[in-house]
Amino acid sequence: MAPLTYLQAISAALRDELRDDERVLVMGEDIGVFGGAFKVTDGFVAEFGTDRVMDTPLAESAIIGCAIGAAVVGMRPVCEMQFADFISCGFDQLVNVAGKMHYRQDLAVPITVRLPSGGGFSGGPFHSQNPEALFMHSPGIKVVAPSTAEDAKGLLHAAIRDPNPVCFMEHKHLYRRVKGEVPEGIYETPFTARVAREGSDLVVIAYGAMVEVALEATADLDGASVEVLDLRSLVPLDEAAILDSVRRCSKVVIVDEANMTCAAGAQVAALIAEKGFEDLDGPVVRVATPDVPIPFSPPLEHAVLPGVDRVKEACRELLEY
Amino acid sequence: MSSSSTETLVDVTMPQMGVSVAEGTVVGWRVGVGDAIVAEQTICDISTDKIDTEVPAPASGVIAEILVDVDQTVDVGTVMARISVEGGAAVPNGNGTPAPAAAEPQASPPAAGEPAPPVGAPARSGGPGRRYSPVVSRIAAEHNVDLSTVEGTGRGGRVRKQDVLAVVNGTNNGHADGAVTDPPLHIESPYRPDPPAPVSAAATTVIDGGLSRMRRTIGERMKQSLDTAATCTTWIEVDMARVEAARAKLGVTALAFVARATIDALREHPALNAWLNGEDYARHEFVHLGIAVSLGEDGLIVPVIHNAHELSVEGLAARIKDLARRARARELSADDVLGGTFTITAPGQFGSIMATPIINQPQVGILDFEAVVKRPVVVTDADGNDSIAIRPMTIMGLSWDHRALDGALSAQFLATVKRRLESLPS
Amino acid sequence: MATETAQPAGGPTPESEPAHPEHLQLEDRIWLMRAMLLMRGIEERAMSLYRQGKVPGSFYDGYGQEAVSAGAAFAMAPEDRLCILHRDLAAHLIRGVTPTRILSQYMGRAAGITRGRDGNVHFGDRELGCVGMVSMLPDMMLVATGMAMAFKLRGERRCALTWFGDGSTSRGDFHEAMNWAGVQRLPVVFVLENNQYAYSTPLDKQFAVDPVERAAAYGFTGVTVDGNDAEAMFEATLEARTRAVEGDGPTLIEAVTMRMHGHAAHDDMKYVPKEQVEEWRRRDPVERQERRLRDAGVDVDALRAEVTAEIDAAATEALAGPMPTPDDVLDGVFAAEAEPLGDGRAPWSGYAARAEATVAGGDA
Repeated sequence: MAPLTYLQAISAALRDELRDDERVLVMGEDIGVFGGAFKVTDGFVAEFGTDRVMDTPLAESAIIGCAIGAAVVGMRPVCEMQFADFISCGFDQLVNVAGKMHYRQDLAVPITVRLPSGGGFSGGPFHSQNPEALFMHSPGIKVVAPSTAEDAKGLLHAAIRDPNPVCFMEHKHLYRRVKGEVPEGIYETPFTARVAREGSDLVVIAYGAMVEVALEATADLDGASVEVLDLRSLVPLDEAAILDSVRRCSKVVIVDEANMTCAAGAQVAALIAEKGFEDLDGPVVRVATPDVPIPFSPPLEHAVLPGVDRVKEACRELLEY
Repeated sequence: MSSSSTETLVDVTMPQMGVSVAEGTVVGWRVGVGDAIVAEQTICDISTDKIDTEVPAPASGVIAEILVDVDQTVDVGTVMARISVEGGAAVPNGNGTPAPAAAEPQASPPAAGEPAPPVGAPARSGGPGRRYSPVVSRIAAEHNVDLSTVEGTGRGGRVRKQDVLAVVNGTNNGHADGAVTDPPLHIESPYRPDPPAPVSAAATTVIDGGLSRMRRTIGERMKQSLDTAATCTTWIEVDMARVEAARAKLGVTALAFVARATIDALREHPALNAWLNGEDYARHEFVHLGIAVSLGEDGLIVPVIHNAHELSVEGLAARIKDLARRARARELSADDVLGGTFTITAPGQFGSIMATPIINQPQVGILDFEAVVKRPVVVTDADGNDSIAIRPMTIMGLSWDHRALDGALSAQFLATVKRRLESLPS
Repeated sequence: MATETAQPAGGPTPESEPAHPEHLQLEDRIWLMRAMLLMRGIEERAMSLYRQGKVPGSFYDGYGQEAVSAGAAFAMAPEDRLCILHRDLAAHLIRGVTPTRILSQYMGRAAGITRGRDGNVHFGDRELGCVGMVSMLPDMMLVATGMAMAFKLRGERRCALTWFGDGSTSRGDFHEAMNWAGVQRLPVVFVLENNQYAYSTPLDKQFAVDPVERAAAYGFTGVTVDGNDAEAMFEATLEARTRAVEGDGPTLIEAVTMRMHGHAAHDDMKYVPKEQVEEWRRRDPVERQERRLRDAGVDVDALRAEVTAEIDAAATEALAGPMPTPDDVLDGVFAAEAEPLGDGRAPWSGYAARAEATVAGGDA
């Protein structure tokens, strides 16, 4: 075990996979010699060479499309979108070519797309987005979103070893803020939810950076026993774990950083309404970013992104209900 | 670690390092009797005529017996040592996820007793138009509770799940359904043993003078080849100008181009891509190309590029580089050195220009590629005029087995290699 | 099959077609003919089934373009990989997909290549090294580029090939694929199937410069080929493949041809001048290959009869096959394990490999 940051854990997973499996290559813009916009692949070229740590042309559609081609002839490509926002330029290849391939013609597409996502640092409308729900709505693509260093490494191993396209949502805000004990070597974290803290009065369901927000907001809520459920995986969505928390706690606050409408949290809310209705002791409450582009200036950005205070307030309201 | 009645012994046997290997020699033990060992930890080093390797422990436990001495050669499958395993289960030490931590005691403990009713929200019972949540209605129905009699502690006196459960359980504990952590018991100690300390590697045994095992093996093999084959050597001169230009463009060694041309020539002349083993003669459809790699004073090894015919020049270059690196790092597996159908040796980096290589049995040919040196040669232009030019030239030697083929074919083979190298696109 | 009957060539232009004897043996040239006849015959039968209400959805065919896919696919080796477009049925046939499975595919039956999950020509047999197209064109240019990237990274003497149309040259993925393949000098062959119309849009509304000229801008070779000549297509593709596996990078082949039917079954193509259709009808690729073979003494009538009988039998078998049941309609969205593409295995797939084997067999 070694204490690693979330960022170091992602690097470690990539390095371990490159060492372990010659089919693995990482490809993206500025990831080679420069080491990536967030230095995830810093120093990789020296160990693995420029073929396996590939600086690509500035072409997101081509990065995903070429990864698909390499995957169907036996490689295990890991693509980096420099920012998750840029996946819009590779959307077609991911959704129409990769996502539908196996269903149509039994041809697996084992690619991983790393998506540095999320806001909170004045990235503005094009460097702050959380596009995960787009891919939840597209059949054939798995979506995972770790909140801890240990899960960042284990989920990335599992994503690379999964025979399907996997979107790996890595939250930029967590890169250096989150640190934790990370097992050495290769281990796969299952695509299931994790109880981050047990409780019985209310459950906060979150993923990615919002798990930390939820834990902090509910650490001391007038003595209430608040559970925090870290989804970890959005596709597949761990229905059993969600419904189990609802059954025990009966009050639910769902937090996601993405824009509110049709976000991952909306799917969770719908699931609870459909299958957890009999266990509810209050309305399902959502905390999310309103349906606006993420503004640049700090007071504006702070006003729209869910923070500790908003989550705290929502939990208090519901606990009193 | 105390022994118990349930302990069993797990055998450590001489492994089969490749199909043709029948025996192996223990080079050194990393542990002694009584030492603890963890599964997958190296227990001893062995040497076979194909490969030197480490033998990992098949189980965790304590070394009970060592049955084979250093330098002793035994058949594959012979028990070399026994490990005493407690409980009888040989559990390999995987690298999986550690067991999840127990419930975190620091997580907010269930509040004792009833939560204080919210200020300004006096408990009320009854009242027209009262609504109940799905879970409250369900619990009330299941337990026959008249909700109109239940005191509500929620906002505006709303009956909450805790309120109806308090009635059902005959208590006012709002956390009846909540998680309860078991208190620690007196006999439970938080102590956990440290993982076993890594066993320090035994001091390397100094092998006494004389030739290394590898040297002796090479010597036996080479003598045996000369005793077996009717070895002849044929040479040809090749103009390497095109190769030099092409290799500079691709950033690879000339050897990769020679390998590619050799593969093409072998497919044109399959009589050289063959094995002759006593009476048995077999031609191969596929080319598994051996490349001799010098290990300095220790000797040399011939790793094999399997299915080399499927590889481009760049692919061959990458494989040659990889095999040479692994050979020098002593990381070759047994499979890496098996199955060659033809061999290339290229010792020309020190400037030597000709050699008479010895055939790697049971193959029937070996190509020697030496230094490329600039020499004056006669060149003929398109109009048939001769002149003297300075060209990068090399002399390639083919040692071939006269039992399997004749000189004309070996010359044709060399001519094919030459033609392919000299006709690369300029 | 072949007899000594020397017949005068049929059709309105009785001049002899020059053959390409550099690589193709008579047997190969008959295979090319057979692939084109099968393609035309299967598509005609499918259109007939469409009109009988047996084929759901819409129907697309490649009438008049048979030489493009037949000639190009024939030059590829089994270990090569193909991304095939919707007017390239002959490529599937050359890789070894049977007429029964193709007709089942059109009819959405259980025995179709996608088992009813996708329609018409949206299929690729994984085991035969083919990836089925998607409707977003030319997405598969990037997939083929990625395959070639893998071949180059692994140092394999293999090649990827894909077809796309004139309309595709306007899309960004065309640029991204051409640029990437040029930058990395990848072993990929891009076949631009210029059939004059993208749905109803003519060339002069699609581009200002012939796209074959763009190849030079991306740093590799571009050639224009008579797309209605199967043997010329074969020769150009074989040359491009050789260039690819020798490490000399990609090739853009512009196959000039004509879409002789509407974009799909519903399209009466009133937007195409009649004279243009007439002019191209005289260059019919099937008839041209037929003239060559008749000149060489092949009994083409017998070949035609044989192909027709094969299609009749395939149609009967396909019609007798069941529709898929919805029991497993939710299965297979995700893969349980990754099985990559396999090699083609048809006897006439892989001219390139056979050519190498022939050379290798020529022992002195």
